[in-house]
Amino acid sequence: MSNRSRPLRRVAAVVAAGAVITLLGGCASSADSEVTTLNFFQFKGEALEDFDEMIADFEAKNPDIRIRQNQVADADTLIRTLLVKDRVPDIITLNANGNFGRLAQAGVFHDFSDEPVLKTINPAVQEILADLGTYGDEVNGLGYVNNANGVIYNQDIFEEQGLEVPETWDEFVAVCDALVEAGITPFYGTLADSWTGIPSWNALGAYPAQDDFFDKLRAQGEDVGPDSEVSFQKDFGEVMDQQLTLFSYMQEGYRGRTYDDGNAAFANGESAMLLQGIWATNPIKQVNPDIRMGIFPYPGTDDPDDRLLVSGVDVVFTMGKDNPKQEAAMRFIEYAFQKDVIEDFAASQNMVPSVVGAELSDDAALQSVKPYFDDGRITGFIDHQVPPSIPLIPIDQEFLFNGDAESALAALDNEWRKVAARTIPVTTGDDE
Amino acid sequence: MTLTQAVRSTAPGKTTPKRAGRTRSEAKRAAPAFYWMVWPAVIAFAAFHTVPVIVGIFFSFTNYAGYGAWNFVGISNYLNLFRDDRVLQAYGFSFLFAIVATILTNAISLAIALGLNAKIKARNFWRGVYFVPYILAILVIGYVFQFFFSNSLPKILAGIPLFRDNILTNDTWAWTAIVVLAVWQGCAFAIIIYLSGLQTIPAEMYEAASLDGASAWRQFRSITFPLIGAFFTINVVLSLKGFLQVFDPIVALTNGGPGTSTESVTLLIFRGGFSGGEFAYQTANAVIFFIVITVVSLFQFRVLQRREADF
Repeated sequence: MSNRSRPLRRVAAVVAAGAVITLLGGCASSADSEVTTLNFFQFKGEALEDFDEMIADFEAKNPDIRIRQNQVADADTLIRTLLVKDRVPDIITLNANGNFGRLAQAGVFHDFSDEPVLKTINPAVQEILADLGTYGDEVNGLGYVNNANGVIYNQDIFEEQGLEVPETWDEFVAVCDALVEAGITPFYGTLADSWTGIPSWNALGAYPAQDDFFDKLRAQGEDVGPDSEVSFQKDFGEVMDQQLTLFSYMQEGYRGRTYDDGNAAFANGESAMLLQGIWATNPIKQVNPDIRMGIFPYPGTDDPDDRLLVSGVDVVFTMGKDNPKQEAAMRFIEYAFQKDVIEDFAASQNMVPSVVGAELSDDAALQSVKPYFDDGRITGFIDHQVPPSIPLIPIDQEFLFNGDAESALAALDNEWRKVAARTIPVTTGDDE
Repeated sequence: MTLTQAVRSTAPGKTTPKRAGRTRSEAKRAAPAFYWMVWPAVIAFAAFHTVPVIVGIFFSFTNYAGYGAWNFVGISNYLNLFRDDRVLQAYGFSFLFAIVATILTNAISLAIALGLNAKIKARNFWRGVYFVPYILAILVIGYVFQFFFSNSLPKILAGIPLFRDNILTNDTWAWTAIVVLAVWQGCAFAIIIYLSGLQTIPAEMYEAASLDGASAWRQFRSITFPLIGAFFTINVVLSLKGFLQVFDPIVALTNGGPGTSTESVTLLIFRGGFSGGEFAYQTANAVIFFIVITVVSLFQFRVLQRREADF
């Protein structure tokens, strides 16, 4: 979850903004015709060194191109600022969230439809990107590595108890009951960090959100309500019941525990499962490097074949429209998508590479989600479809505290209506 | 800065030729040093407060998201505010919180100030102790209180369900925990003001009253309270204004939760405007809130000043 490091990013945002502007100024004035210098906008702090290595290897093979990596803080804000000022970086990586979708819809990014590299990428990954928003029928980004939002489970505990990975909702509940009977806490809840309720909501909500739920919701706008064609009140009742059922299997005092508490407790075997995503496996391993864990998708259905793994595109590559250095930038992007390059990067970041045929690292958690990527049984985070002005996280947290599903869903519909009513799109202007 | 220099260079330039004939007005005028003390503050205030406020009011009539292009949208932001139950709930919370916290702060600090003004042992030590909360950073205290409410209190009062389940996660009563923190910290400054008020009352008044046989309660009602009326007014106005704008104690304890049940107006403006991407809409909210606070403060001054006594 990229949200967690936001305060830190904001602190450095000003510094980074200054650095980028200086570098861009430098680009314009350098009249070296031999070497093309590319400005690489890179949002992911953890990936700074991996990209440095990748760039060094690339420059060794392509002496006519130099790449300057600008690892920026608070990338979502900074990229907007740069776009407004027409100072678009040559190569851009972003986290593919709702913000990326809105920028793509504004038509500021290059169309990759005809690029050969597109054909090497898993179509299910590109589908997740397309759901966030595109400009017309264009392909405005290339998914690079993916995360996985599933139930993390302790394989040792499951084996000791003779439990199988549940494939339907009833099996899931049965596994929880069996663990309780054996005196093991099924899940470690961490609701003191309100966002930790959202991963399970995203995963369970992915099922009713199929069939263009959010497109229909947007089309209805102000008319969303219990009687409209789709609405939270109409379609999300079961999701809330399921989420509440899972939270009834939490340890004592789960309301006062934090995300870090949960990772440490799970690492020490205090619970059999954790309602988090693959991003939690690194902090868990820091506490207990020997833990054996896997990930399974939330079985929100009765048919094992209908199971879907919720996955977000953690890093997406893109570039500005009409970039004069497009040809050089494309060479670097094609290099980054070569199988051995993307494999190294994904393994180091503990993510799933998007290129078809690229091998995942030996990490057990990653290997356990591999089949879903191979079969294309993945779908995006639904909270990326909810406007940020809707207080989704607080509403879900309150629901998990008081169990009142009806009022939580009514609140979501009500907020959706109000935001739709008061959002007045910009009708003139050069950037949107 | 250029403005300050302009002011300084023109002021003597105008006056020098006329100096001989205008001795009378010259004597009346304050020394330039005093102007020097006043101008920087006025300019800094205008640059960092007044100008941003005016820019903010301007953007409240647009659909600006904080970046990019925008259009004028008239007063629709203001109309939508009155239809938004989340905004109305935030106003309700802010006023409930502010009124309860103001009453408690003033009642408690007045009582403590009376005690600290009496001839008790180690008086300066006690005065120091009660001032400590004012010095501590609110976020530090906030996290101490958060630990207290979510870890210590559930164990100490395990018999009471409200406390056992962590009061901060109870959507009906979480606000009272915020009141406790805010009052605990707010009292420190109010006590200082009441103490200075109590010290202005001459001791002879009490002597005369006790000769007439007035009881302690009667002395408080008829001498002490009327004579510190001005201090009472300023304390009530300042604390209500401060508590209406409550922000940090909420961030430290509940972050507006559970749900949006402890979301104050300032927290809503910050959240909706920055992370929610509705800059113009929440700026309109801020303009309304500014007007509300001004009206409430003026109204309080009117009502309370009438009751003040003088001697």
